This record gives sequence, C-alpha cells and structure tokens, in this order.
Amino acid sequence: MGEVELSCRAYVKMYLHTCLFPRCSINGLLLSSSPTGGAVCVTDCVPLLHSHLPLAPITQLALTQVDVWCSQTQQRIVGYYQANACVSDNNPTPCALKVADKIAEQFDNPVLLMVRKTEVKLFYRLSLTCWFNLDIFLLLLDGSKMSPDYRVPPIVLYERKDSRWILKDKHTIMLRQWEETRAIASQMMESGDHTLLVDFDSHLDDITKDWTNQKLNTKIEELASPANGNI
Amino acid sequence: MASVAEMYDVGWEEMRDKLRKWREDNYRNSEQIVDVGEELISEHASKLGDDIWIIYEQVMIAALDCSRDDLALTCLQELRKQFPDSHRVKRLTGMRLEALERYDEANKHYDAILQDDPTNTAARKRKISILKAQGKSTEAIRELNEYLEMTHPQLYQAYCFLCRFHSYGKAAFCLEELMMINPHNHLYCEQYAEVKYTQGGLENLELSRKYFAQALRLNNRNMRALFGLYMSASHIAASPKVSAKVKKDNMKYAAWAATQINRAYKLAGRGTKENKCSMKTVEEMLESMQITMS
Repeated sequence: MGEVELSCRAYVKMYLHTCLFPRCSINGLLLSSSPTGGAVCVTDCVPLLHSHLPLAPITQLALTQVDVWCSQTQQRIVGYYQANACVSDNNPTPCALKVADKIAEQFDNPVLLMVRKTEVKLFYRLSLTCWFNLDIFLLLLDGSKMSPDYRVPPIVLYERKDSRWILKDKHTIMLRQWEETRAIASQMMESGDHTLLVDFDSHLDDITKDWTNQKLNTKIEELASPANGNI
Repeated sequence: MASVAEMYDVGWEEMRDKLRKWREDNYRNSEQIVDVGEELISEHASKLGDDIWIIYEQVMIAALDCSRDDLALTCLQELRKQFPDSHRVKRLTGMRLEALERYDEANKHYDAILQDDPTNTAARKRKISILKAQGKSTEAIRELNEYLEMTHPQLYQAYCFLCRFHSYGKAAFCLEELMMINPHNHLYCEQYAEVKYTQGGLENLELSRKYFAQALRLNNRNMRALFGLYMSASHIAASPKVSAKVKKDNMKYAAWAATQINRAYKLAGRGTKENKCSMKTVEEMLESMQITMS
C-alpha cells in the first residue's frame, strides 16, 4: 500500500467529532473523490456513531446510506476511523476490524485510522493556553511535559495485509499544510464549531440535521487558504 | 349555565368518586376533570377533607392541559400554602411554567429539586420533556441516557459493558431485566431489538422485528426503530427458510415502514435545501433494498 493523504476537511471533521464526544467511542467513514490508483487521498469523512458502536443495524444502515450518497456524488468509501472512549487504548476494537473488513470487500486498499485521544486532548489544552497566556505556552514547551509527538497528527494508521490489519509507518500519512490544518481544527474547536457537527447518530435523533455536514464543510473551506489545495 | 351536578344529576360524593376513578386509571380527560373538579372545589371544598389536596393537584394538571391558567394558579396557590417546602409542589410549579413556555424558570425549579434530591426521577423526566419541547432532541436523548444510568445504573452499565465486548447474549439478558422493570421505555425495546438483530439468525431476526415494532408502539417517532423494523422485516422476507405466508407478512411490514420513513423525511426536508439530500438518499436506498428483496 502506498501513501495515504488526508485532506484538511477530513482531518478537521474527525478532530471535531472526537472533541464533541470526549467520553464516548466514536467512529466514521473515510471518503475519497479522487480517481483510483496511486496514493489514497481521503478527501472527506462522514461521522457515524457515538453510542453502541458494536451493534449491527445502525452501522449497516449508515454504510448503506453513505454508499448511496457516494454514488450520487462521485465519491467512494475508502476507509474507517475510530476513537476509543478509553483514552489510553488506541487499539482497533473487533467492531472496527469488522467494519473495515466490510469496506475491504468493496475497495482494494481500505484505510483504518485510530484517533489518539491523549494527543487530541493535549491539543486542546495547548491551544487553550496559547490563547490566554503566551508564557504558559512557552513553559509547557520547555517543561517538556508533553509528548514530543504533539506536532504530529494524533492518528494511527493500519493497513490490510493478507486479511490482517497491521500498524503502518507514521511517515506514510501525508497532510499538506499540517500547521494550517491544525490551526483550523483548534480554532473551530475554540469557537464552539464542533457543536455544529452532525453524526449519523444525531441525525437519527433528529432527521432534520444534515449528516453530510455541508455547513461545516463551507466553514472549513472559508478558513483554509488556497495553498492547502485538495479540500 | 347549568352546573355539572344539575346536568348529570349527581351529588358531590359521586363527583369526588369520579375524580378518584379517573386518577387511579390515569385518564387524561382533562376537560371533564376541569368541569367536575372546578365545581367540586368551589362549592364543596369543606366536605372533601384531606382529599382536597390531591384533587387540587389533579385539577391543576388538567387545567394546564386546557389552557385554564387561572384555575391552575388557584390550585397551585392553595397547595403552596399548605405544603410550602414540598418537592411535589415544586414540580407542579415547574409544570405550570412549562405550560406558559417559560422553560428557563421551569428548569430552575427542577434543578432545585435535583440539588436536594438527585434521585428525583419526576424532576428529571420534566427536564427531558422541556428539551423535547424546545426541539433539542440530541440533548434530550443524552439526558434520557443519564436518567437510565441513574435509575438502573448497574443493569444499564452491565448492558453497555457486555455490548462493548460482544457478549450479546448476556447483554440481551440485562435488557430483558430492564424491560421488566420499565415496560414503557421505548429505548430499552429498541436496544433489545438491535442486540437481537446483531446476534443474527432467523429466530433472532423475528424477535428483533417484534421489538422494533413494540418500540414504535411506545414512541412512533423513534427513527432507529422504524429503520430497524424495515431492515429486519426485509431480511426475514428475503430468507429462503420462511414460508410464503411469513414472507408476505414481512413484506407488508417492510412496505409500511418504508412509507413511514419516506413520509418522515419528506416532512423533515420541507423548506431546507440540505435535507433534500438526505431525503433522496433514503428514497434511493429503500428502492435498492426492495429490488434485492424480490
């Protein structure tokens, strides 16, 4: 499997989804609108659930609906992301593997992403402090109390080899303009935009809510500079 | 205008007994309760003894239903004089504020009750209905889940824990217990149906369909139950192991569910451009599933 590229829009929405339900396990689907072959470019994501992930009916329903929507909008489901409720546990659960396997039936090189909550939380603390007090921000840096990885996207990638999922080298995940993406994600979190995010679960609670998150997509586009490309 | 006593030729005792019967059987015939109750209170209060307090409560709630705030306030004031510190009366105060759509004030009363007594389920339920009335469905669901955790914490936690570890048989057992304790809760029915569906196999699918249907009977706006009914019925109808009659019945259920789903989405999609996308997606999805079924 070659490189995986993650667009700003996909990353920001995954991040906001994780922040919206900090005490829950959450998951979602990764989509691509680029042609097959070469690097897998994840251009969008659809947040799915924040409760009872291992139960089948709603997951099946969501997969079917997203599939239909994709065919209407020239996109494909290319992967799956999950963040576990338990902050210290970043391993894919059996249900994550099941869904990812299902996707593998339709798409050759599916992507399985686990979001690392510890680093997401760190993110939030960091961005909060640097908003209020620059000194504290510097102190934290010097104090080396954070993981040296904070500058790296808090995600772990798995790829499918011989019907098993194995950890993939971090360096094959590409995010163009990472600093800017990170800044957009923090900014939206600060201004409370994560509450605008609708996942499939919330849509079922109130079907007037839009799980394709068009409004949020527009906001992200407005914040991203033209140089970030591939939105 | 003729009084109730004159119109129906009843004495005050019969009126009082009627009110009691309606109370015990949980009737919600608010207009009748207001008519009978108002007359009873204004003309025979002294004869009612201690019954009067529960009658004040009953009439007050009925008065709110009929938008008779004047009567509701009168009853409430009498109750407040008699029971100044009562949580029960506080809840009634909150209910009146709800009827007047003064939700923030109502919530303050309920929060005060919950501060004193965090296990007060009545206050919690009222808070949930306020969220529903304000259209804040996600918050309402969240509060409801917290309420479930509060009322039957061990069982519910056990259920979530077991689900996470794919121990569906035991998870189902926890839900069965919860359903026995609280048979009117549509969420338990719907969760049970989901677990059965996940377990798979024809028998479990049929159970799942029955429980999705039950959840809908308890709350006909539960979208998960509606979709669940559609999917379980479709799968049963598509199974080669079922008789022609079972196939036909399940196709009927699935068709009914599909109509309801389409209608719900049409209603939701009115006026907003972005929801037209969900509507189209659902329509197409239902159509495509029907093709594979036949």
